[in-house]
Amino acid sequence: MSQKSLAKEKTFKTVLSIVLAVICILYMLPIGTLIINTFKGSTYVKSETFALPNAQSFVGWDNYVKGMTFGNYDFWKTVLYSFTITILSSAMILLFTSMAAWFIARVDSKVCRIIYYLCVFSMVVPFQMVMFTLSKTADTLKLNTPWTIPIVYLGFGAGLAIFMFVGFVKGIPLEIEEAAVIDGCGPLKTYFLVVFPMLKPTMISVGILEIMWVWNDYLLPYLVLDRNLYRTIPIHIQYLQGSYGQVDWGATMALIFLGIVPVVIFYLLCQKHIIKGVAAGAVKG
Amino acid sequence: MKKFLALALVLCMVLALAPVAKAETGSVYWLNFKPESDEVLQQIAKMYTEKTGVPVNVVTAASGTYSQTLTAEMDKSTPPTLFIVGNQEGVKTWSEYCLDLTGTKIANELNTDAYNLYDENGKLCSIGYCYECYGIIVNVDLLEKAGHKLDEITNFETLKAVVEDIHARAAELGFDAFTSSDMDGSSSWRFTGHMINLDYVYEERAAGKVWTECPATITGEFVPNFKNLYDLAINNSEFDPATFAAGGHDAEGEFKADKAVFFVNGSWEYGAVSEGGKNVAMIPYYCGVEGEEKAGLNCGTENCWAINANAKQADIDATMDFLYWCVTDPEASRILVDSFGVMPYKQAAASTNGFLAMANDYANNGCYVMDWATNYQPNVDAYRAAFVSALNAYNADQSDANWEQVRSAIVDGWAYQYSQVNG
Amino acid sequence: MKRKPYDLRKGPIRKQWWIFLLPLMAAFTIGFVWPFIQGIYLSFCTFTTTSNAKLNGVMNNKAFFNNYIKAFQDPTFVRSFWYSALFAVVSLIIINVLAFTVAYFLTKELKGSNLFRTVFFMPNLIGGIVLGYIWSMIFDGILHIYGKTLVTEPVWGFWGLVIVVAWQQIGYMMIIYIAGLQAVPNDMLEAAKIDGASGWQTLWRVTIPNVMPSITICTFLSLTNGFKLFDQNLALTNGLPKPFINGVPVGQTEMIALNIYNTFYVGNTSARGTAQAKAVLFFILVAGLGLIQLSATRRKEVQQ
Repeated sequence: MSQKSLAKEKTFKTVLSIVLAVICILYMLPIGTLIINTFKGSTYVKSETFALPNAQSFVGWDNYVKGMTFGNYDFWKTVLYSFTITILSSAMILLFTSMAAWFIARVDSKVCRIIYYLCVFSMVVPFQMVMFTLSKTADTLKLNTPWTIPIVYLGFGAGLAIFMFVGFVKGIPLEIEEAAVIDGCGPLKTYFLVVFPMLKPTMISVGILEIMWVWNDYLLPYLVLDRNLYRTIPIHIQYLQGSYGQVDWGATMALIFLGIVPVVIFYLLCQKHIIKGVAAGAVKG
Repeated sequence: MKKFLALALVLCMVLALAPVAKAETGSVYWLNFKPESDEVLQQIAKMYTEKTGVPVNVVTAASGTYSQTLTAEMDKSTPPTLFIVGNQEGVKTWSEYCLDLTGTKIANELNTDAYNLYDENGKLCSIGYCYECYGIIVNVDLLEKAGHKLDEITNFETLKAVVEDIHARAAELGFDAFTSSDMDGSSSWRFTGHMINLDYVYEERAAGKVWTECPATITGEFVPNFKNLYDLAINNSEFDPATFAAGGHDAEGEFKADKAVFFVNGSWEYGAVSEGGKNVAMIPYYCGVEGEEKAGLNCGTENCWAINANAKQADIDATMDFLYWCVTDPEASRILVDSFGVMPYKQAAASTNGFLAMANDYANNGCYVMDWATNYQPNVDAYRAAFVSALNAYNADQSDANWEQVRSAIVDGWAYQYSQVNG
Repeated sequence: MKRKPYDLRKGPIRKQWWIFLLPLMAAFTIGFVWPFIQGIYLSFCTFTTTSNAKLNGVMNNKAFFNNYIKAFQDPTFVRSFWYSALFAVVSLIIINVLAFTVAYFLTKELKGSNLFRTVFFMPNLIGGIVLGYIWSMIFDGILHIYGKTLVTEPVWGFWGLVIVVAWQQIGYMMIIYIAGLQAVPNDMLEAAKIDGASGWQTLWRVTIPNVMPSITICTFLSLTNGFKLFDQNLALTNGLPKPFINGVPVGQTEMIALNIYNTFYVGNTSARGTAQAKAVLFFILVAGLGLIQLSATRRKEVQQ
């Protein structure tokens, strides 16, 4: 390649970098707008959306205080419940579906295939199809607490996880497990000592998809949880939207920001895995 | 080890599924529908529990979600024992779930049967626990500052003159005529649920009889009068009507901060707007109907208690005792009356609500009461949603075509929703 | 893999099915199978709550398919279907074109590509409800200047929704495209270069055919996402505006999932059966799309 075309390509790449950097900044503007509006009085949010807070509109930390204290419901509880539900659900989904997927892939009997196809089938069922009946069933069985709702998530979210795990297990050579069996390992030991470590990449991609889903989910917990006692962050935000006569947009924005922070931290900490996981998961799916 | 692990796993599942053991004594679960009274009800519940040991659980549905919350909660294993059935449509839907309150000790405490709701078989489904009035709240001090007097305003003509004068001089006065009229869920009911009542009531009066059930159609004869008052409200405030659709204003805040003289709202606002000794009054919806000098305030209620007939007997008894205590205990009824305005029960504390007192004054002076015909709105949430949407379009562009859409939402919307519910 | 699975198949693992399968199956039955079956049953019933359901034509004198007939007769449902379809197609095109373009440039070994990738993916982590509120603030803030609002202009409502969904999903699809683009064999690209192919020719003749699997995945993902959209729709416009068309109020920006939700919980209680029937129809639609995807990927696999 000639010097000239190399130089040309270099300028082209620099220009491209700059263009993309500008787009990136634009891409983050909504978040920036959100942050400045958490410091404005409610009536300024919709009329002076893009202005920085000024002497008139600035309310300091008031929105955060109001967002965290409104409506006789402690904000820390919603955080606690959101975390509990997300962590428990994801953990349960990962453990139980990977075990079942290994069994399905290895035993491969007629029943297993039926279960497999049922799970795959459940992936395409929209939530509206079961929302009314699911909330009733979940209530009858007392699955309406943050400690038991993970069972609902395990049931309704099993499809994708089973699909991805079975696909992955089928690609693992049998020899390693055979060796373990010859060494005298029972199925459980084989699973936990041999198979489980090998599943790590899929675990990460499934885990991330489930965490993102559960943390952000609104309708399922809204319809299933015992509303007297438990609210997640999205439900709490929705309550703030429709209470006390006037929508307090400032406080809403503050709560929204507080709800985003944990996810963003989580993302920045493990973004490498997340991006890899999404790519791997999608290519399999 | 294996067995233990497996056992633990299964045990986890079983434990999770096992129903939580419950005490045998009754308890009260009140599904409240007014977010603004949540705080007071929580306080009352706590008082009662401290006094008697009976658990009282008050849950408040997010505003605008009462019917869906009630539906979901009723289907649960611990349904509400006390819920709100505030209109005929509610009676229709929930009558199966309503305990017949005829002759019960709470019903015997009532001092009027004006706010009772019966189903088609004559079962007393729900009883009012307070009543309210609405109209146009006026900041009398500001009005006088602008050089007008409250008794100048006796009909639409005079109201319009005052309002337009204040609006024209808003910059000089430092305040405007009306507060904002947001159309988001937190505020639109002031128009789609309240102000429109004037059309329904005058239709009743024109026909010479009060509705006792939801009519299949309405004529919309007085929709032009609704337009009179509505136009006055949206076009004489500090804000561009086109911005009302997005919400984000704070009408109550504007009124409290002396930024506007007129505020379309009701008696429940009394505590908030009279704060700091502000001189406030409430006037009727003057809208250009003949003889409206004799109009009074809009009085009625949608606050009616119903007891869940399908609850456990112990819970029903506990709920009944709790309600009786609410309306007879001096301390409790004082707190409730201060929040609700007035409770129509023989032994309840006396009302201190200035607006309700004004409603009585109007009635005593021979003015006709505007009843809450708005309670008959069929399929109410859907009806109002379409109504709001039409008002939004009109606010953005006040053309005749757009007003025709509003009229259609009021009149055709009524017929359509009626056919949906009864078809 | 033609070989039959080894002795695990007949060995001790089969006896321990209850450890491996039972927890999942129990939850799956509770969280999916039972509600699903009951949902289908209810679509043939008249009910206000699940406990007082009456089977049409058996326990009352309505037509057995009463709910389905009503669903098809409901102009708002039919409209919301076409609206969803239009939305799904438009958002599909916009998302995929933009995501592919960004991915294409990001694989060019640019400075800061990792940072760009991180930024573009970020909106995915924000939930639909929250996203809807953030954007409704922004749109209202902009339209405010022109005296317009999102809930009065169906056109803005539509494009607003497209922008929100594009903002959210471009990052996700971009990651998939990057994975696909990185898998394009380098020697093929080199060969094209040596043969003197232009950038465009290489893109159309070499790159795109090689990332076809990613394109298939992304297309169907965005298509089904478009059809299933609910949270953003609820928070952004909630179906408004709702003018009367032939005497029926029709939500101009109401998508199919929101239509079902509104029929269930906002409308009169006698329409619950209709809502459940709509849900079944919705399910058939989404399942149909899923089947097409499955057969499309199968065909691809066979070709390879």
